Formats: sequence, C-alpha cells, structure tokens
Amino acid sequence: MPLIKLEDVSKLYGFGDATTLALDEVSLSIDKGEFVAVMGPSGSGKSTLLNVLGLLDRPTNGTYRLQNRLVDRLSQSRAAKLRRDTIGFIFQSYNLLPKLTVLENVALPLTYKGIGATKRFKQASQILERVGMQNREYYYPYQLSGGQIQCAAIARALVNDPSIIIADEPTGNLDSAGSRLVMELLSEIHKMGNTIIFVTHNPELTKYATRVVYMRDGMIIEDEPTMIGEVAKTVRRRLYTQPRMTAEDDLMGVSLLMKAVPDKAVSKSSSSKRTKSKKGTTSRRKRRYQKVKST
Amino acid sequence: MSLRSGYIHTAVATMRTNRWRSLLTMFGITVGVASVIVIIGISQGVKNEITNQVYAYSKNVITVTSKAANLSNFGVPQIPTVSTLTNQDVSSISKIKGVKASVPMIVESGLVTGEKTFRGGVVIATSPDLPSVINQSLAYGSFFSSADTSSDPAVLGYNASSGLFKENVPLGFSFTWRGQTFIVDGVLNSFRATPFSNNTLYNNAIFIPVASAKQLIPGGGSLFQILVRVDNSKDLSQVAARISAALLRNHGGQSNFSVLLPSQVAQNNTGILNLLTELTIGIALISLFVGGVGIMNVMLVSVAERIHEIGIRKAIGASNRQVMSQFLVESTTVSITGGLIGIGLALIADLVLKLSTNLSPSINWEIIVIGAAVSMLIGIVFGSIPAIRAAGKEPIEALRNE
Repeated sequence: MPLIKLEDVSKLYGFGDATTLALDEVSLSIDKGEFVAVMGPSGSGKSTLLNVLGLLDRPTNGTYRLQNRLVDRLSQSRAAKLRRDTIGFIFQSYNLLPKLTVLENVALPLTYKGIGATKRFKQASQILERVGMQNREYYYPYQLSGGQIQCAAIARALVNDPSIIIADEPTGNLDSAGSRLVMELLSEIHKMGNTIIFVTHNPELTKYATRVVYMRDGMIIEDEPTMIGEVAKTVRRRLYTQPRMTAEDDLMGVSLLMKAVPDKAVSKSSSSKRTKSKKGTTSRRKRRYQKVKST
Repeated sequence: MSLRSGYIHTAVATMRTNRWRSLLTMFGITVGVASVIVIIGISQGVKNEITNQVYAYSKNVITVTSKAANLSNFGVPQIPTVSTLTNQDVSSISKIKGVKASVPMIVESGLVTGEKTFRGGVVIATSPDLPSVINQSLAYGSFFSSADTSSDPAVLGYNASSGLFKENVPLGFSFTWRGQTFIVDGVLNSFRATPFSNNTLYNNAIFIPVASAKQLIPGGGSLFQILVRVDNSKDLSQVAARISAALLRNHGGQSNFSVLLPSQVAQNNTGILNLLTELTIGIALISLFVGGVGIMNVMLVSVAERIHEIGIRKAIGASNRQVMSQFLVESTTVSITGGLIGIGLALIADLVLKLSTNLSPSINWEIIVIGAAVSMLIGIVFGSIPAIRAAGKEPIEALRNE
C-alpha cells in the first residue's frame, strides 16, 4: 500500500488565455520510507506538485490518496488538520516567524494541536536537540545563520512526528556548508524511517535520495530509483556525457550546450536561441491545455 | 487555556512592535469609554444629591400638584399659570386621617423692592406650618404664625435675603411687593441646592401668608402645589390614596392633579438630567463607534501586512478558525486596553471633579464593568471582518505573498 498515490492529477491556474497547466495528468505513488528528489527546470510544476502533495493546494482534476484516504477534495479546515498531523513543511526561505524565538517557532504546530505550553516547549526542546540546536533555543531567527535557521525549520517540520516531510528547495538559499548541514540532517531523519520529498536544482544532492523524479512542463518525464551516495544516473548521464543532436533539435536551433542538463544552466544562458525554445514550450503547453479541455 | 494565552502573547507582542499605531487606534475607544463613564458618574452623582435633598427636606411629604404642572415635556418642574387645585382641596386634605400638616404653595412672580430690587425672586404664599412640613429651620428670626394677622409679615429665602438687603440680618426691615409693605420676620437657612430641584426655587423665594396674598393677587393666585406631611412614614402610600380619593370627589371625578410620593418627586426632578445624560452618552457612543471603525481599519491593514505570516501558520496546520481567533484576540486586546485606559482616565477625571468642583460624581463598579465589556464587544464586532478575511486566505496565495 503506497503512502501517497496520485492518479492523473492536473492543476490549472488562471483563466482564459492566461491559463497555465502546472500539472498535466501526473500519476505518482510513493511508499513509506522513500527519499524522493524532484528535479526539473523552473516552471516545470515541481512546486505545484509539492503543494498538492502537502495539501496546500487542491488538484483541478484527478485523485490523490494519502495513507489510502481520498484527500483531493478536502475542506480547508480538514486539510489544515491533516497538514498539522501528517505533513511537515520545509521551505526555501525558511519561513520562521521572525517575532518568535526558535523554541516558540518549533512549538507552533503543537500550539495548533492544542497542547499545553509546558508540554509543547519540552517536546520542541527535544526535537531541537535532535537537530543539534539545543543551545540556540532562545535565539531569534535573525540571530542565526541560514543553515541554522533551516535546521530550526526542520525541527518545526518534525515536531508533530509527521509521516511525510515536504521540502521545497531546502538548500536553495544556503551556501555549500549550510546545504551539507541540512542534507545530512534530512538523510539522518530519513534513516529513522521518515518519508521525505524534496525539490532541488543541485544534481549533487541526488546522492542523498533513493529515487529521483524529473519533471518538465507539468509532466513526469523520468522516474528512477537511485543508490544513496551516488548521483542519479540520468543526471550523471546528462552531466558527464555528450548529448546527441537530433534532427528536431537541429531544426529548432537548439545547441548541444543547451541540452546539457541541469536545466538551470539552460535558463541561465541568455542567447536568442533560448527565446525560441521557450516559444516552442509555450505552444506545446497550449496544445496540452486543449487536450485537457477536450477530455 | 494555553492556546488563548498564546494568542494574547502574540497580540501583545504585535501591539508592542506597532506601538504608535496601537496607541492611536486605542485612542477612540479610550475617549469614548472615558466620556461615557464620566458622564454617567456626574449624572449619577447629581441624582444622588437630588434624592438626598428630597429625602432630607421632604421625607414624609406628599406633594400634590396640578396636572398642568406636569404638562411640560422632559419632566421639568414648571410653575403653572393656571392651577386646578383650589383652597377647598387644602381644607379637605387637612381633614384626612394620617395627615399631620398641609401647606398650600401659591406662587406669584413680581418685582420685590427692599433696600435693593430683587429680580430673581418669586413670592410664595403659604401657611405657618411650612418650616415643619419641609423640615427646614430658620437662620434668623421666626416664621410667621397664624396669630400674626395685624401686620404683613414675610420670611425670606437665603438668597432672597441677600438680594433685597445689604444687611446680613434684615429682621424688622421692610420691602414692598405690588404696593404693599411687608416686614421681615425671619430668614430661612439655605437649602442645599442642585440644579433642577425645587430647592433653588426655595432659596430665592419670599414667603408671605396666604391671607395677605389674597388681597394682592387677582383671582386668589395659582396654587402651585400642596405639601402634605404625614404622621407616619409607613402610611405614606395609604394617605396618598386617601388624598387622591378626596380630591377626586372635589374635582367631580376629574383627575387633573397628581399626588406624588417623595420618590416620585425625586424622579420628576431628575427627568431633564436623564435626558441630558442620554444625549451626551449618545455622542460618546458615536465616538466609540468611530473608535471601532478605526480598529477595523487598522486590523485590515495588519492582516494585509501579515498575509505571509498567515500563510506560514496555515501551512504548519492552523485552521481557519484558529487564524480567525488570533486576529480577534488581537483586535479585542487593543480595544480592551483602550477601554481600560479610558476607565483609568475616567477615575482620574472623577477625582479632579470631586476636588475642584462641588459636583460629586459617583462611579460605581457596574459602570466600570459595563465600560470594559463594551470595549471588549467593540473589539469583537469590529475585529470580526478583518479576522474573517485573514482566515479565508488560501494558504498557497498567502505563502507566495512576501
């Protein structure tokens, strides 16, 4: 029985001509104990996927089963309750409340569960010890380094003992030392049996994952298991091997350099060719949207 | 509850960070609550004073007035031009069982000239029993007696005495009214006077015997009221009923008079005061309303500023209701703090009034509790729209808002 089961989940944003298809009939199932890395270029639907998984957003179409329970049409308050009890969030921009101390921030989810002050601060304190932050309990977020703040945020995500931890680019704002600190912590948590889903742009970080999902234009284009401690095969292939030119690429003027994933590199290069490829993307999206409409 | 105290903690922290904004927001509530309490306090103080006076001077006194006297609106006691009461009524009342004494009060205006001309006075024709009926002693001299028919005696109210004569003790001095010369027999002690009560009238009055008045007033004058002292205070209402019955007989079944117990007199006297109080409270309530709108405005701004925070709270599991409670507690904390400051200011104002004026405002704990409750209610009512708005935010949208 998978922990998470998405079937043909689509998500549309906007109205009329501004409609974008953020998720395009995505099917995905994740078992307990998996450590899933989600990769893909900006705008590929990674964050939307995570938001849907984290019950922050509702899919437009399709079904979502969490722990074998249908959750795609939950009311706001039920979703809030489920988020509180089963899901822990880690954000790229940390999202700790600046006016609260680290301890208060970590205890906040317990507050919403209605746990008394003494008990929740004790619990929060224990979790902070687990992430190595016990001597920073009474600091305010602005007094800490990025890596430390993210550790506090991880503690907050853990404090409710969630069955899934969802991290949207947890290392996106961190330097390499901070990234390592955070990823080591996440992998330690994973070893204790937690299910973690995280988005990353950094191919190196697939080393920590047990599975890598690649997304593009709202679809999962590649889904492969990977060994802990090794960079995922697809990434490696794209990183270390020369991509081949196809006739289509030639026609569209896509260079070999642009095909070298990571896609972030593509988006960074600002050649006139890039605009062309983007145009291609848009038209493809539109085609898909029409397809969704007709079904 | 821990959650509630958490909200209050957050609310206080928010208030501290936005100190000026919170203070200015509270201001409306503070002013409103303070003015309502001060006004009620003053009015209550004056009412107490009037009631005390009524009971001091006419504890066992039934007041019979012409209905015309109460025709005026707002319960302001007025001197009627035409009275329905007659001398026959006076004599029937004096015969009723349980009545110790009764005095007619015939009120006439007119220029009175002694050493000086006194313009503020009224002439009241009454009988020798008046001091015993209204329980007031004389400062100097004596009240005219029934035996004293040879000359035209008069007794002066305290202010009338100083208005007519330069002399402090004008006993034996004379003054003229409508061409008739009167000799001052005595001066009444000053009545403790409050606005809107009969005592002001008494202090300015010149009392003369009914017999003298009859010759000078065409038609015998208008019988303003009849004061009736009863033997025993327990019989007050029974005697009042008997008086009513007797007068009904005299008036051929028409009840064009009223028989008032002391408590009713007090009520009548405070009528205009009540009206003024209600008016001013109404204005103060407008200030409270505006204060409430101010709170709503500031809370809406606060919600808009903190959308991201709302997003975070929702992402980690706050339900709509919990987010709503948080903002409601915040607006209520602001309004209650404002209310408490208002109560404090009102108490200070009360003290200042007590020390510097002869008003003695009385603020009782009920008013304070009501003041606090009203400010809390304002926080809840005007905070609810911003709170509902905050609660209704979609978590995703809220998180994106930085």
